[in-house]
Amino acid sequence: MAEADDAPAIVVEDLHEIFRIYKERPPGLKERLYRFRRADFTEFHALNGVSLTIRHGESVGLVGHNGSGKSTLLKCMARILPADRGTVTLGGRVATLLELGAGFQPDLSGRENVYLNGSILGLTRREIAASFDSIVDFAGVRDFIDTPVRNYSSGMYVRLGFAIAVHVDPDILLVDEVLSVGDAGFQEKSLARMRSFSERGKTVVLVSHALEAVESLCDRVVVLEHGQVIFDGPTEQALTSYRRRLAGGASEPAAVEAVETDPDGDGRARVADAVLTVPGHDPAGPVPSGAKARLDVDVRAVDDLVGRGGLTVGMVLRRPDLPSAVYETRTSWRVTYVAPPPPGESLRASFEFELNVLTGTYLIDVLLGNAETDVVHDVRRDAAKIVVRAEEHDAGIAPLGVRITLDNPEGVWPPESEPPPMSEGGPRFHPARPRAGHDQRQPQG
Amino acid sequence: MVATPERLGDLWVSRELLRNLVGKELKVRYKGSALGFLWSLITPLLMTAIFTVVFATFLRIELGDGNFATFFLSGYLVWQFFSNSVNSSVGAIVANGPLIRKVYFPREVLPLSLVLSQGVHFLLALVATSPLIIYYRGFHPELVPAVLIGLVLLTAFTAGVSMIFAAANVGFRDLQELTQVLFLGWFYATPIIYALFFVEDNAPQFLPLIRANPMTWFVELFRRMLYGTPAREGLNPPPAWPPLESWLVCGAWAVGALAVGYWLFNRLAVTFAKEV
Repeated sequence: MAEADDAPAIVVEDLHEIFRIYKERPPGLKERLYRFRRADFTEFHALNGVSLTIRHGESVGLVGHNGSGKSTLLKCMARILPADRGTVTLGGRVATLLELGAGFQPDLSGRENVYLNGSILGLTRREIAASFDSIVDFAGVRDFIDTPVRNYSSGMYVRLGFAIAVHVDPDILLVDEVLSVGDAGFQEKSLARMRSFSERGKTVVLVSHALEAVESLCDRVVVLEHGQVIFDGPTEQALTSYRRRLAGGASEPAAVEAVETDPDGDGRARVADAVLTVPGHDPAGPVPSGAKARLDVDVRAVDDLVGRGGLTVGMVLRRPDLPSAVYETRTSWRVTYVAPPPPGESLRASFEFELNVLTGTYLIDVLLGNAETDVVHDVRRDAAKIVVRAEEHDAGIAPLGVRITLDNPEGVWPPESEPPPMSEGGPRFHPARPRAGHDQRQPQG
Repeated sequence: MVATPERLGDLWVSRELLRNLVGKELKVRYKGSALGFLWSLITPLLMTAIFTVVFATFLRIELGDGNFATFFLSGYLVWQFFSNSVNSSVGAIVANGPLIRKVYFPREVLPLSLVLSQGVHFLLALVATSPLIIYYRGFHPELVPAVLIGLVLLTAFTAGVSMIFAAANVGFRDLQELTQVLFLGWFYATPIIYALFFVEDNAPQFLPLIRANPMTWFVELFRRMLYGTPAREGLNPPPAWPPLESWLVCGAWAVGALAVGYWLFNRLAVTFAKEV
């Protein structure tokens, strides 16, 4: 679908995007019926009058602090979010890469997921069939292609998701932070793929914290702050001004404020990988209560963090149905000074713990921040998931090792034993014949 | 607000996705179960057995020379398709929140894929129970086109209602729980375990209510094609082509529900990514 050269690929005009942040969870029917007032919420202007025109063949980077609105802008371009005011006009077939393997079905095989995920990304069956072999080889999962993806390692999962994504061949490609997952080789591969894409005259819009990636791929950069475009121009100029802003603004109160409104962190260091292992158990399946688990967190510094008070790495264990965390810890709470690695270098934090919890599905969030100022660098929500199946019949969160003794003159029989009949000292209401006991009692009462 | 023709174009572009999602629903449901599709037959057959014992044996419902099991089954299969579709669709948007926040696709494919996969179950269940129906009610191959047209109308109606429930559940999260109770009441307000003439004879004041229920018309439509005409005494006339009135009422409900459901769903769908 080649457009005329003078028709732009993306036109954004005076775009506003407003989020409602509810003080409580979104209200249900019941709450609305007996509380006629509207739920409490505050409005957050993620985008505040953004206008830009992107021509066919341009490669544009969107940069800014977290909370500056760059991801929101990308989602508006992708039509995931509606414009609250203003318009977004697209001239060509669009593909969006916000998450690799979004919509994978764990119970379906790799092959079935290639077709399903491909069609979610807008590929036709014929297009997927034509590039199927190339997708499988690219991902390196040929031996497992008919195995349910539930049994894939996280690496295979991401590789397959990536392989499908790069075979989408649209006119306009919108990419958000996909580059930040996986190892260096994987990132290089994905960057090369996008570069060849833009060399073929396609349009690329990239949101990334990895400024080197933006630098090597984009010829134009748009800098956003507080939902507004503050710079739009050639990459070199834009990044110079953005870096200066980052360096100068870090200690200003405005930056701290931005961090508070921004739960995803400022991106100065990233959680590169977080892997949960449960020795002796398959972490994908249920593990018994009390199993020993180990969480390995790989942290990569993006910016120079030396001399700023040290890093803290935290983990939060939570169960989605509970309002507060089951458990939370941070390296800084254990009085550990973690010297931040130089930019581009990594460190590993390993948490060893026991899953002393009752039956349920538990999620682990990983948090990365400054040990002194509580500035958050990165949050990886749902970094790991673990299903615990406790043997106890008890309900709740924590096994308390309860022993029950009953002092009952009527007698107590353990669950497996059969009480004797009443004539031999058995209970008056025999559990084996509850109805008979009930009937006997009626005339007396 | 995006114009409807453009939205329909989007849906057409996504037909491949719709087909894959329907395939996924069917595969996931039958993965790891040796009996596979038989499972979707066990519910209606078990229900038929229970209701036949209770109503035909204990309560001695009189159906002349008719057969209660086929009478019940011909209505219950229709109800099961409708009820399963709406009850699985109601939470579909909320359950697929992560996908909705990450990828653009016409959101209506989520409820539509559930309705269509239930439609496949319905068709399979019809084929599988046809020996029973043919044995008791005779072989009527000339009615196959009528059943297929009826299926199209019922699917359209079900899709409309499913979209309304799926969209409304995003704003009112507890609708999901309410739906279960609502559908229990709706089941009894539909002539599935009873025939319309029982209401006419015993409680004519309820007749307007029962007739206002669209599912009454769809159940009656299918019952006419699968069972015939129920009668208290003597001959129960065999399956026949339904009267024009049934077609018109069902057609009106189908078009109306689909139009309202699609309009409402699309009106609300733009904000799904923000709210789920």
